[in-house]
Amino acid sequence: MRRDLLPYILSRIVLSLAFGGLFYLSGSSVWTAMLITGVLITLFLWAPNSGRYSVHPEYGITALRRDERTQVINDQAARNAFVAVMLLSGAALIYLRATGNPSDVIVYLKTILLAGVGVYYISDFALRKTQ
Amino acid sequence: MKLTNKLKEARVAKNMTQADLGDKVGVTRQTIIAIEKEKFVPSAKLALELARALETNFDQVFWLE
Repeated sequence: MRRDLLPYILSRIVLSLAFGGLFYLSGSSVWTAMLITGVLITLFLWAPNSGRYSVHPEYGITALRRDERTQVINDQAARNAFVAVMLLSGAALIYLRATGNPSDVIVYLKTILLAGVGVYYISDFALRKTQ
Repeated sequence: MKLTNKLKEARVAKNMTQADLGDKVGVTRQTIIAIEKEKFVPSAKLALELARALETNFDQVFWLE
């Protein structure tokens, strides 16, 4: 573990504990909250070595920054996800109007948002391979 | 026209690793790899910073082909 990244690491541990606490307070079991906290801490500890961020210890708790290439990839992935969400929303709207069953709206909305997240990560992965 | 570079040759001549060069200009090792393989075209600012980090002239590392 890099000592110069201590402010970043401590801040992320606090953040993970707070997130786990929120899960516990919202009705999840202690074990689920602990699992989520553990997963988050692991991800935050892995991030500086992931190659996704340039590391700038001089910035303290915001030591991880996207560099030029990762910013381009992130922007493109976000645009792809936005377009996917818009197209799927349009399709769902047309379908729901045709079938006349508005009670399904929330289910469709959840699915569309999940699809958007999926498109973002798939784009991110594919762009990292090609750029 | 395509931006071509001799970043790898210039880096090796200075006995630097991709990680060293990345740290010097504030980008990831993966970004240096992508520039060396010409998969990613750096901005003018980053290209100038790379040339400066390698203590060479910009047009000896980057040029249009």
